[in-house]
Amino acid sequence: MGADAAIATDLGGAAGTAANARRRWPPLPWLWARLWSGALLVILTFLVLYPVAMLLLGALTNTNPVVDGFGVFNISLTNFGTVLANPNVHLALANSLIACGGGTALAVVIGLTFSWVVVRTNTPCKGFIAAVSMLPLFVPPLVAAVAWSILASPKTGLINTLLAALGVDWRFNVYSMGGLIAIFGIYYAPYVYMFTASALRNMDPALEEAAEVTGATTLRTLLTVTFPLIAPAIVSGMLLSFIVMLGIYGIPAVLGTPGDIPVLTTYIFKLTNWSPPLYSTAASVAIILMVVTGVLVWLQQLAISRRSYTTVAGKSFRPALLNLGHWRYFTLGLAVVYLFVVVVLPTLALIVAAFRKFLFVRNLASLFDERQYSLVHFERLFANPLALRSILNTMEVGLITALLGGVLAFAIGYTVNRTSLPGRRGIDVVSTLPVAIPGLVVGVAYLWAWIGLPGGLYGTIWILALAFIARFLPDTVKALSTSLLQIHRELEEAAWICGRGLIGTIRSIVLPLARPGVIAAMTLLFILAIRELGSSLFLYTSKTMVMAVLLLDYYEGGNVGITAAFSLVQTVLLGVLIGIAHLISRGGTRSGDIGRTG
Amino acid sequence: MHRSCRTRRQFIAAVASGLAATAFRIPPLSAQTFGSDELIEAAKKEGALVLYTANVAEVEQVVINAFNKRFPFVKVELLRAPGGQLITRVKTEAAAGKLRADVLDHSDRALLASMEELFIDYAPPNAADYLPEAQASPKLWPRITLVWSIAYNSELVKNPPKSWMDLTKPEYGNKQIGQVFAPSGGTTWTRSMFERQVLGEDYWKKQAATQPVLFPSNAPLSDALVRGEVVIAPLLYNTIYPKKKDGAPIEIFFPPEGAPVTPFAAGIPKTAAHPNAARLFLNWCLSEEGQAFMIKELGNLTSLRKAPFYPEGFDPKVVKVWVPDYQQFVQLQAGWIEEWNKTYGYRQ
Repeated sequence: MGADAAIATDLGGAAGTAANARRRWPPLPWLWARLWSGALLVILTFLVLYPVAMLLLGALTNTNPVVDGFGVFNISLTNFGTVLANPNVHLALANSLIACGGGTALAVVIGLTFSWVVVRTNTPCKGFIAAVSMLPLFVPPLVAAVAWSILASPKTGLINTLLAALGVDWRFNVYSMGGLIAIFGIYYAPYVYMFTASALRNMDPALEEAAEVTGATTLRTLLTVTFPLIAPAIVSGMLLSFIVMLGIYGIPAVLGTPGDIPVLTTYIFKLTNWSPPLYSTAASVAIILMVVTGVLVWLQQLAISRRSYTTVAGKSFRPALLNLGHWRYFTLGLAVVYLFVVVVLPTLALIVAAFRKFLFVRNLASLFDERQYSLVHFERLFANPLALRSILNTMEVGLITALLGGVLAFAIGYTVNRTSLPGRRGIDVVSTLPVAIPGLVVGVAYLWAWIGLPGGLYGTIWILALAFIARFLPDTVKALSTSLLQIHRELEEAAWICGRGLIGTIRSIVLPLARPGVIAAMTLLFILAIRELGSSLFLYTSKTMVMAVLLLDYYEGGNVGITAAFSLVQTVLLGVLIGIAHLISRGGTRSGDIGRTG
Repeated sequence: MHRSCRTRRQFIAAVASGLAATAFRIPPLSAQTFGSDELIEAAKKEGALVLYTANVAEVEQVVINAFNKRFPFVKVELLRAPGGQLITRVKTEAAAGKLRADVLDHSDRALLASMEELFIDYAPPNAADYLPEAQASPKLWPRITLVWSIAYNSELVKNPPKSWMDLTKPEYGNKQIGQVFAPSGGTTWTRSMFERQVLGEDYWKKQAATQPVLFPSNAPLSDALVRGEVVIAPLLYNTIYPKKKDGAPIEIFFPPEGAPVTPFAAGIPKTAAHPNAARLFLNWCLSEEGQAFMIKELGNLTSLRKAPFYPEGFDPKVVKVWVPDYQQFVQLQAGWIEEWNKTYGYRQ
């Protein structure tokens, strides 16, 4: 979903192409046009509609569609009604809304502050601040949560040990609603940042200048002119970060469980985990989550579409930078503090946990006792043949997902945005649908849907890749559409007039021009795929174990040392991959379009 | 399905006397049988097997390594998933005709017994050495048998508890105790049943009054105990013993009122692609050598009539082994778990 943000920046292009909308082309023969649209719809039905139908079936019939067969249709709303009436579901829903609502509010404060600092002030090292503002997106939620539980657990957190050593009575407690909100807020602020930074960049400063001329203070101008002008972008980023938080499992699992704060995702996970498992209930709860998410996605789309009326201007301009004077070091300081909180401290915590034999820290002196440290967790990690295999599998599944998903997304993006083929609207809607399905339940839907297919799909890397392609289709299509919209239609028309066919035009004009965007979208898909946990849970087998599942295994296995060691390995790998991707796609869409994953 | 032919009391007596009769000894290899030469040859040809388990992956890997010391030619692939997810996976795979497991092991033997038609008739060479009460079905065998203990962080607890009843004392109140919640699985249900049947109808209420911190499973609770997040916890001996062995500040004891025991259930599905390797693997795990390894290295117990030896700190003369009555284990579960959830304020 992160890629949705990309769309915010390029509505200028969208407005430009809107005029051409009526002259959609290419004029494909009637039959071919229908065949092409039909083929895309068949693929989307297989990837999206069919699994969603299985999920609905599970929720409404109280059966496992594969075990009980399709003959036992006993559709009723009883199951759904029971779930809706369950006070524990109400509690989980309320907790979800509070945690994500609070988290979103904090994310808005952080994201908006940094976007304003980067775009509109003369703070030094703005490139650094811009990078820092995006960095948290690369930290998998489970890793962030484990790191913060090591830092700020009320009884044994390293920060609290430090406070005790300093004689301070006050303690951090990350196992609380406040803790959940804080962690959500700091790790999902980049969504707000992405939207608001681009809106601020594209905003016509004339109104601000007018406000200043009339003698308004900077703060007053900000609150009465600037922020209201970019309000749709703020709302859009807000809703997006809310949706993403709603679907996250790792953070509430680690921080909410000790504090007894169930949210919808952890509740669903519990339902699938009990002995015997309550899948139909889980599917029903998941549908509640889908409805909430669906409404928010709709609101977000509304906000985006409204935005184009308020801030798109036909001329180019460069807003004047506000001179902050000495305060510019303060704003730089804020970014340094943020970097420290989201990256440096958690990494230090992981390093301590990974190299320490036991994470029992009696006092501050014991923290620096070198006898407590060893490589034992890394030795154990790599003694497990699954560790290396999971890394290789993850890379393989990531590559397949990126390549196939990139091609499919290109096909969909091109069809929806650049042609007037029949069924375009349907293709657009179906390819956006996976946004609303939480990863945790979509895994079992894919299992139910695809296990019965003839051939050897189940048990291979391919089933994981297909699930990831389907799950992240909206992200990839949006990221690609953005770069497609930037290419002026005249270029294609020129090629067409010169006698090139459709394929020839795509190959000679569209692909070369959209290349940075395509590579960026594939990189995004690659990174999303290697982080993805929820939908992997039911699809991996002994041969196709992936990193995210093994990490959860270690976490659930109760060994925080080896969990931290594996988190570090994963972090380093991600860092290297992002570095490589950055080099390849330099000049393309921002590499920060990383998004939701559970 | 259930072939219990003795009463629970007889089972306990058998465990106690059987355990008492043996001391530390590992018999020479010649005295053991893991299967005929033909079986071993056939397993060699298959060369691999897939094990599905709800047990912690790291622990299973240790068992696999030990098995491979004896039979290096069988490559064991592991699929580990939490109990409920594993059952869903197995049922779905089986229904689609794509069950990939050659061996399936689960802590909830009642749940597995309800699917017994999936499994072949299998019995290890030393079948007669096993206590029949530990089996929920003649096709399923207690490859793993776990026992509950109480553990505490010795750096943080100056006046440790000595019994189950001590865990109701107000001095251990205010979130010092950690508990795995009852609906978590077969082992925790066994513990909860023991508490109510042996320690008294009001034990849950008294224990819940100390405001214990609830955990989803034993593994994270054992980690929290080492870190000092909680300081006292009833734990499966095998989840905390390896940490103590590695030098964690932990003490463990078997309380005098009794030690609840959960035999797991393992079987070979009819669809196994490597049935011979699966037999050999289970034969080894269920052999005295396999059981002795799991007791010594992992802190398991055994359902063998004569235990090769005991976990550290387990004195068969003192410790009263408690195994739930199988019928009650099945019948009481839903109702009692619901009461447990209410008593402990756990939301399901």
